[in-house]
Amino acid sequence: MFKIETKRSLAPGINLFSLSAKELAAKTKPGQFVILRIDEDGERIPLTIADVDLEKGTVSVACHEVGKTSKQLGRLNEGDSILNLLGPLGKPAEIKNYGTVLCVGGGVMAAPLHFQARAFREAGNNVIGVVGATTKNHLIFLDEMEKTCNELYVATDDGTEGHRGIDFLKDLFIERKVDRVITEGPVVMMKAVSDLTRQQGIPTIVNLLPIMVDGMGMCGACRVTVGKNMLFGCVDGPEFDGHQVDFDELLARLKTYTPQEKIAYVFWEEGEKHQ
Amino acid sequence: MEVKEPEPRIGVFLCRCGCNIGGVVDIPAVTEYAKTLPFVVYVEENIYTCSSAGLDAIKKQIEKHKLNRVIVASCTPATHESLFQKTCEEAGLNKYLFEMANIREHCSWVHMHLPAEATEKAKDLVRMAAAKARYLEPQIETELDIIPAALVIGGGITGITAATTLARQGFQVHLVEKEAELGGMLKRLYKLEPTDRDSAEVLREAVTALKANSQVHIHTSTLVSQVSGFIGKFNVTLQPKNSGQTEQIEVGTIIVATGAEPLKPIGYYGYSENPNIITELELEQLLRSGKLKKPEKVVMIQCVGTREKTLRTYCSRICCQVALKNATQLRKLYPDSDVFVLFRDVQTFGEYEHIYKDARANFVKFIRYDQNRPPKVATKPDGQLLVSVYDTYLNNEIELESDLVVLSSPLVQHEDGKKLASVLKVPLGADGFFFEVHPKLRPVEFASEGIYICGTAHGPKNILESISQAYATAAKASIPMAAGRIKAGAVKASVNEEICVNCDACVVSCAFNAIEASPFGLPKIIEANCKGCGVCASECPMGAMQLKQYRDDQITIAVEALFEPDKHRKAKGDFKPLILCFACKWCSYAAADLAGVSRIQYSPNVRILRVPCSGRVDVLHILKAFQSGADGVIITGCLIGDCHYIDGNIKAKERVDVIKKALEYLDIDPKRFELGFASSSEGQKFAAMMTDFVKQIEGLGPNTLKPKQRIKNNV
Repeated sequence: MFKIETKRSLAPGINLFSLSAKELAAKTKPGQFVILRIDEDGERIPLTIADVDLEKGTVSVACHEVGKTSKQLGRLNEGDSILNLLGPLGKPAEIKNYGTVLCVGGGVMAAPLHFQARAFREAGNNVIGVVGATTKNHLIFLDEMEKTCNELYVATDDGTEGHRGIDFLKDLFIERKVDRVITEGPVVMMKAVSDLTRQQGIPTIVNLLPIMVDGMGMCGACRVTVGKNMLFGCVDGPEFDGHQVDFDELLARLKTYTPQEKIAYVFWEEGEKHQ
Repeated sequence: MEVKEPEPRIGVFLCRCGCNIGGVVDIPAVTEYAKTLPFVVYVEENIYTCSSAGLDAIKKQIEKHKLNRVIVASCTPATHESLFQKTCEEAGLNKYLFEMANIREHCSWVHMHLPAEATEKAKDLVRMAAAKARYLEPQIETELDIIPAALVIGGGITGITAATTLARQGFQVHLVEKEAELGGMLKRLYKLEPTDRDSAEVLREAVTALKANSQVHIHTSTLVSQVSGFIGKFNVTLQPKNSGQTEQIEVGTIIVATGAEPLKPIGYYGYSENPNIITELELEQLLRSGKLKKPEKVVMIQCVGTREKTLRTYCSRICCQVALKNATQLRKLYPDSDVFVLFRDVQTFGEYEHIYKDARANFVKFIRYDQNRPPKVATKPDGQLLVSVYDTYLNNEIELESDLVVLSSPLVQHEDGKKLASVLKVPLGADGFFFEVHPKLRPVEFASEGIYICGTAHGPKNILESISQAYATAAKASIPMAAGRIKAGAVKASVNEEICVNCDACVVSCAFNAIEASPFGLPKIIEANCKGCGVCASECPMGAMQLKQYRDDQITIAVEALFEPDKHRKAKGDFKPLILCFACKWCSYAAADLAGVSRIQYSPNVRILRVPCSGRVDVLHILKAFQSGADGVIITGCLIGDCHYIDGNIKAKERVDVIKKALEYLDIDPKRFELGFASSSEGQKFAAMMTDFVKQIEGLGPNTLKPKQRIKNNV
């Protein structure tokens, strides 16, 4: 059992949990993820690690409530425990001094992106951060990114805070020399960012979480087409060259179990209602 | 139950339809019953509600009783809904506050000998309509302006014809051609069937006719690099090949006429390894330039790299005509030469049979080969070609010495066509060609409105067929442009951004590019592209996406209303199953109507609820039906391949197994839920489907589900 040490609400439906897992924390590097299971009947879900605290022996994960398991997780509180926590999984991010690194985080993924941004800053990079969300009250980790990055830009889909959309990056690329782009967030966002940087020829890393089962390269559920290769999100990733990823296929594959997910959510919600 | 403000005041008009309904259904009993329904403030029966007296009554009572919802229980909405809606509008009531109950085609005509059951059913249908009516909301229909300009992509004979036709009607036309000159494939051909006219002459005439129109703007050496917008106003970026400077244009419609290219048959019969092994197109070019060395023995091989078992499985359609035309030409030019055609099947279809007869008359020799034993082409030491073929008529291997082998390779999609498909967000078929939305219902149109397809870009076809399609697309494109405006119905998707979790399942599921994902995942609905199928709403895991007029709450209230008095019904002991049928408003609803018109009698236990598409039916609606006490639920849709929303019925089919499994988990026999398909001409099949399903449910007994106890915490 893994105890929830702290729970912090970041935005409506988005929580940051720190989980007691000393050995896991000691081995974790930015960019890696965990797979957790709440209870015996629970679904395994992958979450990117948002931070570690070696002293306290905890790892943090941010979770956006988008279905049955994430909602169930969202109802847990400090002191509650989850059954399984597996990790760290996947290859760590390549942290080096590249010069200027642009970190673009969307939605809940701004939290794990911050973990990387800090590592890039510590490695001597000039770090430009971008935090985006659909709307103002879904923006998270603004203070943390503000502290970590040399400069920070904010963007929303509806323009309620900062720039509207990501087209402002075009101007940024004209004004500034960017050596590397890291992006974590919704697939459509990573696709849009990769499309922009392709024109500029800037190496771009995306962090993907396709549908996963074991997370250790056995089941093949998480396959992603990267260039001409079929790779596994879990063991070959989660980081890939954004210019090579077939995002449309990824989007379609993420939708494979929508009816099942909906049924699970409806049943669970009904069950909660009548308990 | 929560009710929308202001409080509904529902008026119900029951039509006797002479004795069509009144002769079976006890209308006075239904009238009395309707008066007891919540929020129903006025009920009236008419001999014919659709008569001028009936319509006047509706208008009068809307005013007198301040009705803010109107229900007509009569015939099928397919024929009369618009009439009643217009009547409501004349009385100042928004037409989206009107609802219909079909108690003729779906009731009196199909239960002619069961008046008691038919009367029960009519009450149920009226109750469902009254429940849904409470949740209706007024809608505003938007109008779109159409820019009277078209973009024609591709400057071959097809594109030239479409452009000329539109320009002559007075529309501005931008014709974009990637090559430096107009003409496309026609430039590369020689003598054309059936008149032996020189292709250059035909092209010259077509280009002259095109250029005679001042409304035509020709952009050669140019590609279409970006397209955004929708019917009426597409923003198009043109990228000239030899300049970095792009050009922006705005058009109302787009015609794709990008053609195809012949496959270079590398890897087949030694092509590219010997200069005397060429394609039919290369032969035409040699004939055109006069550079063909007089051949002694020519062997033509048909179906090269086409009609294969995988990949290019299609027949390229034009090769037999082309090869036999060229074979005859050769025989006429060099009467002492031998020309053999090795074929699998000669497919000079329709009027082109004469090309085959001409070839025969000119002593072209035909040898049939088997796909499994294809001919072999070898080069002898002296450079002569040796073709060996197993003749399936003689059952014998034949060897032919030859100095020229000509291969018939198929037309295939080119790379620029594939790129254009993603620029326009229109689909390509399995064969690689552009895919029209429906070959019979909407030929030459794409699913995205305002974009049309013609010529060989759509699949192999000859010049005459390409030109015909060019005219067809010009006619279709001119309809909105001539009207200047189009009215968009109000049945459109809408998203609740508060509940949306930005998963973009809706974006992926939409077959019409009507939902775009903003960079951080917020779905943006392009109303002009939305066709109102509601597939996105059913795919949305959170219920954030809804379809106006068919929202989840509007559907489930009708479902719950059907089963409301169910306890009473079951208490009688004798099991009469009560079954809900979700019928898509196109084929399957029409099939039910046809069953009615044809007076095909079927079990009276089924109640039909109209939905836009079988793909709109959500697992939620089905669960709600069973929780409310349904003994069985059946969804009906158009036949696979005939969905009016491209793949809504396929989406419905994909959900079936998942739903059945979920039902099993709830201890509901999965046989209580089915999905069926019927075309609009299959009234008999629809009736049989209903009767069979009722029998199946009778065998299972009543649904004894106590739903709230059965749903467990974890799934």
